Amino acid sequence: MKFSINKSPKEIAGYTNWQKKLILMILGGSLGILGVSLICLNFGVVSIHPKEIFSLIWNSSLDKTNSLIVWQLRAPRIIMATLTGIALATVGGAFQGILRNPLADPYILGVSAGAALGACIGIALQYATGYYLASYLPLFAFLGAMLSLYLVYLSSKISYSVNSTGLLLAGVAINFLFSALITVLLALSKRELHSMIFWLMGDLSTADWKKISLITLPVIIGCLLLFFSSLDLNALSLGEEEALHLGVNTGKLRMRIFFIGSIIIATVVSFTGLIGFVGLIIPHIARLLIGPDHRVMLPASALLGAIFLILCDTLARMVISPSEIPIGAITALVGAPMFIYLLRRK
Amino acid sequence: MRIFKKSILVFALLFVLSFSPLFSLADSVNYPLSIIDNTGTIVNILQEPQRIISTSPENTEILFALGLKDKIVGITNYCNFPEETKNIEKIGEMSPLNLEKIVSLKPDFILAYAGFQLQEIPRLRKLGFNVLVIEPLTIKETLKSIKMVATVCGIPEKGNILLEDLSQRVDKIKTEVSKLAISNRPKVFIGGTYETIYTPGEGTLFNELITLSGGENIAASLPGWVKISPEFVAEAEPEIIIIPIGAMNPGEESKVKENISNRPGWSNIPAIKTQSIFIVNEDLFYRAGPRLVDGLELLYEIFHK
Repeated sequence: MKFSINKSPKEIAGYTNWQKKLILMILGGSLGILGVSLICLNFGVVSIHPKEIFSLIWNSSLDKTNSLIVWQLRAPRIIMATLTGIALATVGGAFQGILRNPLADPYILGVSAGAALGACIGIALQYATGYYLASYLPLFAFLGAMLSLYLVYLSSKISYSVNSTGLLLAGVAINFLFSALITVLLALSKRELHSMIFWLMGDLSTADWKKISLITLPVIIGCLLLFFSSLDLNALSLGEEEALHLGVNTGKLRMRIFFIGSIIIATVVSFTGLIGFVGLIIPHIARLLIGPDHRVMLPASALLGAIFLILCDTLARMVISPSEIPIGAITALVGAPMFIYLLRRK
Repeated sequence: MRIFKKSILVFALLFVLSFSPLFSLADSVNYPLSIIDNTGTIVNILQEPQRIISTSPENTEILFALGLKDKIVGITNYCNFPEETKNIEKIGEMSPLNLEKIVSLKPDFILAYAGFQLQEIPRLRKLGFNVLVIEPLTIKETLKSIKMVATVCGIPEKGNILLEDLSQRVDKIKTEVSKLAISNRPKVFIGGTYETIYTPGEGTLFNELITLSGGENIAASLPGWVKISPEFVAEAEPEIIIIPIGAMNPGEESKVKENISNRPGWSNIPAIKTQSIFIVNEDLFYRAGPRLVDGLELLYEIFHK
């Protein structure tokens, strides 16, 4: 144990100089995202010379096929991965904060199960009624997510437990309920089984500019709102009572973050399906790298989540190209060893 | 007398039709051409397709049977028939489709499949591709889609020849079967290589093939592909068991037979007592392409020879 006498407990826990840290990190992180994006833009089943890609960025009318590949397929996918990574990691971090539970992830409060059920119902209806419902699938997922959000809210309100356990258990219960309904749907399904399973595994290959335009605002505004709750989350991390003594209305805080987080996740998941692991592990990695102060940890999670998901998606489409590995598998395969390595080093 | 009147009417109709462009057996198709595909979408084909991508094995088989192999620029990983498919560029999975690969092959026509690919169709169309979706659910519809593909690809006469041949073979089996007494139709169970049993019921191509070839499917009254219990099979007492193997039902012939014979509670099933267990290539029955007729003939052989 090497405790320097000069350091205050705050310093040791990493709560000082947070503004400087935040600015440096946002600068570094943004540059990181930009760099990784530009590099990943070069990877795909079709090899296009980096020089050509660079010129296509400025002038998309050079080569029709290649500009279609770069602008309509690769770029939207990378931006979708960025936004999804930001959303999952930030909400994961915030949920770990309000539930005071290191195993919490964005999906633990039921919203994903609702979205999944909605999507599976959408897929089933689509096969029953024909081709035209195909583009409304995200709407079904979003409605499902809102339904589960409402149910979790209701059940947590009538719960005997006043602290985070009530919300957590309500979320887990709704998760189980909706998963059971999904299982029933899967068992009854025929042709649509494949589509349902792929939706459940998560997929960024369907990204396009319209989807990006729909999720950008909810993700950015939602995540900013979560960042602004950082101080309250810091207080809550000391303990329920301590936070109350510091003037934080923990019940309200929990509900606020639950709602904001769930809406962000509902929006994203409606378009991407369930991409696992990012929301669980990235906040932990951010905490290991930069300390537990939510003011820095949440933005760090967002940036790391984005970089991580862009890289994972690139791997997903490259490893067994032209086939693709579901991205949810890659996030866990790459993320788990990385996380264990970081744990060991500390 | 009525037959005479009718036949005059038919001849008159044929005479009129033979002058109409619809009935013409001419070699050329007039582009642009509009056609309504199985998703109910009007597909406009501006000119004769030169670079075709097939997104399913059945579609690949149809294109090959029509002699279009030189125009195919991309097929899926699952397209394994005929042999020459080995030399054609692969686009990967059937779903999700690898759009980047598809774009890079610069197709001017994509022959897609509905089924579980339905989700992918709007994405392909959004990129501006000419996509014709076929999803035949019966033999008749299969023949119809073969004709549709032939027309779109500018070779209606080849389509007619293929169709003629296939229909004749189907009709031959139909005639043979119609001569059989009902009691001569064996009770048939279609199994698989997995422990959980999924079997084709009413409305599936497989069921249609069994009926047409003079068999009685034990699951004929159940809807679609259904999961059934081992008890159901034991009670139905099938006289013939057919096990399709291939990509979807992996297994070795001898092992599969042994496993089926040793399933608990099945020792009294007539097919197992007489060892009337037949292992067949699943591709002949699952793919709605020209080889369905091979499958039909194979079933007839098994049931009645």
